[in-house]
Amino acid sequence: MKRTTLLHALLLWYGLLWTVLAIAPRDRQDWLLENLLALSAVATLAATYRRFQFSTLSYVLITVFLSLHAVGAHYTYAEVPFGFWLRDAFGLSRNPFDRLVHFAYGLLLAYPLRELLVRLAGIESFWSYYLPISGMLAQSGFFEIVEAVVAQIVSPELGTAYLGTQGDEWDAQKDMVAALSGALLCMTAVLIATATSSRSRAVPLQRPTSRRA
Amino acid sequence: MVTQNKRLFGGLLLWYVLLSLWTAYEPADRQFWLLSSLLPGLLVLVLVGTHRLLTFSPLSYILITTFLTLHTIGVHYTYAQVPAGVWLEQAMPFGRNQYDRIVHFCFGFLLTYPIEELFRLTVPLRGWLLYYLPVMTVLGLSGLWEIIESWVAQMVHPELGMTYLGSQGDVWDAQKDMAAAMYGALLCMGLLLWYRRSRGTDVSRSVAESMH
Repeated sequence: MKRTTLLHALLLWYGLLWTVLAIAPRDRQDWLLENLLALSAVATLAATYRRFQFSTLSYVLITVFLSLHAVGAHYTYAEVPFGFWLRDAFGLSRNPFDRLVHFAYGLLLAYPLRELLVRLAGIESFWSYYLPISGMLAQSGFFEIVEAVVAQIVSPELGTAYLGTQGDEWDAQKDMVAALSGALLCMTAVLIATATSSRSRAVPLQRPTSRRA
Repeated sequence: MVTQNKRLFGGLLLWYVLLSLWTAYEPADRQFWLLSSLLPGLLVLVLVGTHRLLTFSPLSYILITTFLTLHTIGVHYTYAQVPAGVWLEQAMPFGRNQYDRIVHFCFGFLLTYPIEELFRLTVPLRGWLLYYLPVMTVLGLSGLWEIIESWVAQMVHPELGMTYLGSQGDVWDAQKDMAAAMYGALLCMGLLLWYRRSRGTDVSRSVAESMH
């Protein structure tokens, strides 16, 4: 499949999914809060597309993450049906969907971040593996700070819904551990792929073939 | 200049070792002292070991030593009971001992410049990333510290939960600590950028322009 066709398909998929989930979210205000960052991310990606194009793989990973987030925002994270199913299936004490998405955040977005750093700043070797992990952890920490600020500003009831702590005092730390583990796993995979594939040394550095869509 | 730098390095090292010996004598909580001294001790060992290979500027060594000094004092008394913090609480009604929050801020403010220097020495960083990545690294390390702190609290004193260690019973403690470190890092990089711009030695703008 051509790169541009795939990118259009990703955009169409996200647009459709987002629209369907925007029709009747469980909590409109929470949905709006959750979507502020997601929509600014999409807008940034679209606006910078001509100046900086990610690889096709990165766009796929980003779309998967944004789709998961759209689902979480629709149901409010603590009440995603799939999470309840997981809770019952594994005998957990809470709905683990938000923790899962924190993990997915590290796992899916560490690669695009690495690509950004490698191509924009020419970072190599050790730093090209350390900095994406550090970056995902930092962003995760930043997100926890923003969450805390928002939760203290908005009404307490919505605060807990948005925050998704579900009454756990270590929730912030566990969320960060989830993102950190995801990023570690992702960078390990990249390291293995780089070591085993003969041509892959150039892959993260390669610019996508089609420059203009 | 080289011998001067070496003398400074030796002097700072001597200061840190003497201070550590003094604070190691009868700390308020031996277990906490031991756990909290592991990472700084490791950092000092790495710095000494790589001194020849990777020589930082005198300013960086002074900043690192200042931070380690503040940390060592906090560890000696346990952070929540540092006299300076107690005094501060009496002078201004914060409702808590602020010493740990101050040291979190100092972590960002004092260590961001050495990290920026590490990047300058080891990677050919360009543009705004030279200022952004050190802040990001400090925030990442700060998050890692909060994670380790929560693990230690759960392992050592599971019954005390959040009241153990630095949180002093505040549910938002981790977030506030990370925010403090981030503000410190931002201030440090802001000052550095301002200083370089005023001296005309900042390269980020010209390089950023040449990239497009």
